[in-house]
Amino acid sequence: MSEVTQLQLIGLTVVGTGVAILLFIKAQFARVIGFVAIVLGLFSLVALSVPQMASLPPAEEKFDLATVKTPADMAAIGQKIFFSKGQCALCHSIGPSESARCPDLKGIGAKLRKEFIYESLTQPQAYIYLDYRHEGPPKEYPARMPYINKNPIGLSKNEILSVIAFLQQMSGEPVSVSPAELEMPGAAPAAPTKAAESAPMAVAQAH
Amino acid sequence: MKHVIQGLGRKIAGSPGALLTALAIIGSLGLPAMGMAADSGGATTATAYRDIPGIGSRNLVWIIAQLHLLLAGFVLGVPIFAWVCEIVGWKSGEKRYDKLAKEFTKLLTSSYATTALFGGILLFLLIGFYPKLMAYLTDIFFPSFLVYCLLFLLETATLYLYWYGWDAMQDGGKKTFHVFLGFLLNVFAFFIMIVPNSWATFQASPVVISEGSDLARAWAATWNPTWWPVNIHRLIANVVLGGYICGAYAGIRYLAAKGTEERNHYDWMGYVGNFIGVFGLLPLPFAGYWLMREIYQYNQQMGITLMGGFLSWLFILQAMLIGVLFLGSNYYFWLGITHRIPGSEMRYRKPILTMLVILLLCLGVWMTPHSLVASLEEARKMGGTHHPLLGVFGVMSAKMTVANLMILVTFMSFIMYWRAGKEETATWAKLAKAVMSAVLVVAGIVVVVLGVWGYFVPAIVRINYFSTSQVLIVLFVMLTITPLTALLLKSAKTTTEMIWGRMPPRAGYSLVLNAVMVILLMTLMGYARSSSRVHWHIYGVMRDSSQYAFSPALGYAAAFMALNTFLFCMLVAFIFWVATMGDKAKAPH
Repeated sequence: MSEVTQLQLIGLTVVGTGVAILLFIKAQFARVIGFVAIVLGLFSLVALSVPQMASLPPAEEKFDLATVKTPADMAAIGQKIFFSKGQCALCHSIGPSESARCPDLKGIGAKLRKEFIYESLTQPQAYIYLDYRHEGPPKEYPARMPYINKNPIGLSKNEILSVIAFLQQMSGEPVSVSPAELEMPGAAPAAPTKAAESAPMAVAQAH
Repeated sequence: MKHVIQGLGRKIAGSPGALLTALAIIGSLGLPAMGMAADSGGATTATAYRDIPGIGSRNLVWIIAQLHLLLAGFVLGVPIFAWVCEIVGWKSGEKRYDKLAKEFTKLLTSSYATTALFGGILLFLLIGFYPKLMAYLTDIFFPSFLVYCLLFLLETATLYLYWYGWDAMQDGGKKTFHVFLGFLLNVFAFFIMIVPNSWATFQASPVVISEGSDLARAWAATWNPTWWPVNIHRLIANVVLGGYICGAYAGIRYLAAKGTEERNHYDWMGYVGNFIGVFGLLPLPFAGYWLMREIYQYNQQMGITLMGGFLSWLFILQAMLIGVLFLGSNYYFWLGITHRIPGSEMRYRKPILTMLVILLLCLGVWMTPHSLVASLEEARKMGGTHHPLLGVFGVMSAKMTVANLMILVTFMSFIMYWRAGKEETATWAKLAKAVMSAVLVVAGIVVVVLGVWGYFVPAIVRINYFSTSQVLIVLFVMLTITPLTALLLKSAKTTTEMIWGRMPPRAGYSLVLNAVMVILLMTLMGYARSSSRVHWHIYGVMRDSSQYAFSPALGYAAAFMALNTFLFCMLVAFIFWVATMGDKAKAPH
C-alpha cells in the first residue's frame, strides 16, 4: 500500500470518527472535537488529491572525464543540469511558453557566442541589467538572472560549459565547446556548492 | 484533585523561568538516553546532525516548532486583542469589554508559560539535532540573543503588573497607567516577535558580511530583505489568530451554555472575536502580497519555487482555506443580522444572496490552478498545460482581482451588520450614503477593469502598477467608508435593538471553523516558507546535507499540518479549561 493510500485511509478514518461523534455523542465539547476532526480530515484528503510532488535536492552530475569524449557527451550532461541542478527551466523555456517568466532560450546557441553565454551566466549584470525589465536608477536588486556559478545554484565551470554545449546543440548549431576545455579534478577549484558547506564555519572561525 | 491541578497551574503560570530550568535539567538528563544517531565524519569533525529513531529529527522539530509558533502567535495576539477591548471598555464605559479583556489576559499567564516551555524544548532539539547550523546562527546572532533575553524579562515583568494590577488599577489615573502597561506589554511583545523573525527570515534571505564588529554583522543579518514583510504579516496574522480563537472559545461556551445570561455573554463575545478577526483578515492579503513581492525581488527562483514550482498547488489549498475563512466570517455576520436583529430576515435576504454568489464565484476563480499536471494525451487535447476555458482564470491577474473583490464583499458584510437596526438621522445622511455607494461601485468596477487589462500588459507593468493600484483602491474604500459610517451612526436612531443569545448552534460551529482555518493557514504557510529554501538551511549559504534535505509532498505535509492544528487546539482548550476552572468553582449554584 502506498504512502498516499495509507494517509487517505487515515484521513477517512478521522472524518468517519468525527461523523460518529456528531451522530452519537451529546456532550458539546466532544461534538466540537468531532467537528474539528471532520474539517482536518477533509483538509488532508483534499491535499492528498492534488498532484504529489516532493522537492528533492538536485542530483550531482558526475564528471568522469574519461567518458566525456565528444561535445555531444557534454551536451547530454548539460541537458540534465539544465533541468535539475541548474534550475534554468524554472524560469526559462525552450520554445514559446505561456508560463515562462524569462527569455525563451530556443535558438540562443545560434544567436550568441559561447563566451557571451558564459559571461551572461557568470556575470548576469554585465548586459542583462541594462536591457531586461529595468528602467530608471539602479535598484537594490537589479538583476533577475542569478549568478549561476555562485550559490544557491553554484554550477562548476565544467557544468556551465556542458550547459552551453546543450544550448548550442538544441539550437542546431555545431557545438563549439570542446571536452578539452574541461578542467581536470584537482586542478579545478572546488565546486561552489561544496565550498559553501564549509564557508559558514570559516566565517564563524574568523571571529 | 481539582485544587492540586489549580495550584499546579498557578505555579506554572507564575514561574516560566523555573519551568525552563526544570526543563533544562530534564532535557540534559533525557536526551543522551534517547538513542540518537549522530552524523559525524570522525573524531576530528564536528557533528553536523543527530537523528532520533522512529519519528525522525525533522518531523519532531516540525511538530514542536509549529506548536511553539502557534502558541507564540496566540500569546502575542491575545494582548493586542485584550488591550483593544480594555480601551473600548475604558472609553465607552461598557464594563463588559473590560471584563472580556481581563478574561483573556488571565489566559496569558498560563499560555505564556506553555509557549516558553515549547520554546525551551525546541531550543534543546535544535541544538541537539542541528549543532552545526545552530553554532553558525549563534555566531551571527549572539547579540540579538541577549536582546531577546532582556525583552523577555521586560515582557514578563509588565505582564505580571498588567494582570495582577488589573483590579487595583481601575479608576482615574491608575486606569490610565494600566492602559499604558497594556501598551508596553504589546510593544515588548512586538519586539519579542521580530527578533526571532530575523533569525528565521535570515535563513530564507541571508545577508552575510564577513567584516565589521559582531554587532554590525548581527544587524546586517537581522535587517534582511524579508524581515519587515514577515514582521508585518505576522503581526496582523496574530491579531487575526487572537480574534478568531476568542471567537471559537465563545462559540464552544455558547454551545454549552445553560442559562440566558451565559448565552447572551458568549454570543456577544463571539461577535467581538469575529469582528476583530475580520478586522485583521482584511489587510492580511496585502501584507502577504508585499512579502511575496519582496521574495521575488530578492530571488526570482525562490519566488517561482513558491508560486509556480512544486509548491504551486499549495497556493490552491491556501485559496481554499482563505475562501472558507471568508465564507465562514461572512456567514457569521449574516447569521447575526438575521437572528439578532428581529425583522431583518427578509430585508437582507437579497443582498446576502448576492454577496454569497460573488464570494463563491471569486473562490472558484481563485482556486483555478495556473497550469495542470496532465498526461501527454490530456495536454494534447487541451492544447497545453492550461485548460482552454478555465486556464484564463488561473493567472495572477484574475486571482488578484477576485481576492480584492472578496475583501470588498466581506467589508460590505461588516458595514451592513454595523448599520443593521439603525436609522440615520443626520441631515447629510442621504448624501453620505450616495457617496459610499458610488465609491463602492466605482472601486469594484475599477478593480475588475484593471484585472482584465492586466492580461494585455507585460507582467512587470501589471505587478508594479495594476496590482498595487487594486490594493490601494480597496484600502481607499475601507478608509473612506469606515469613518463615514462611524460618523453617520453617531447620531443614528436605533430602530431595532440587537438581541443577544438567539444565534442558532451552527453559528458556534462557524466560529470554530474560522479558528481552525486560520490555524491551518498558519501551518500551511509555515511549510511553504520553510520549503521555499529547498535543500538549504540558510539559502545559498549553508546547504542541508542531512538525509532530510528534501521537502515532502503536500499530502504528507498536510497530515502533519492537520496533526499540529489538532494538538494546538487541544493545548489551547486545556489552557482555557485550567484558566477558567476557578471561575466555575466561584460561580453561584
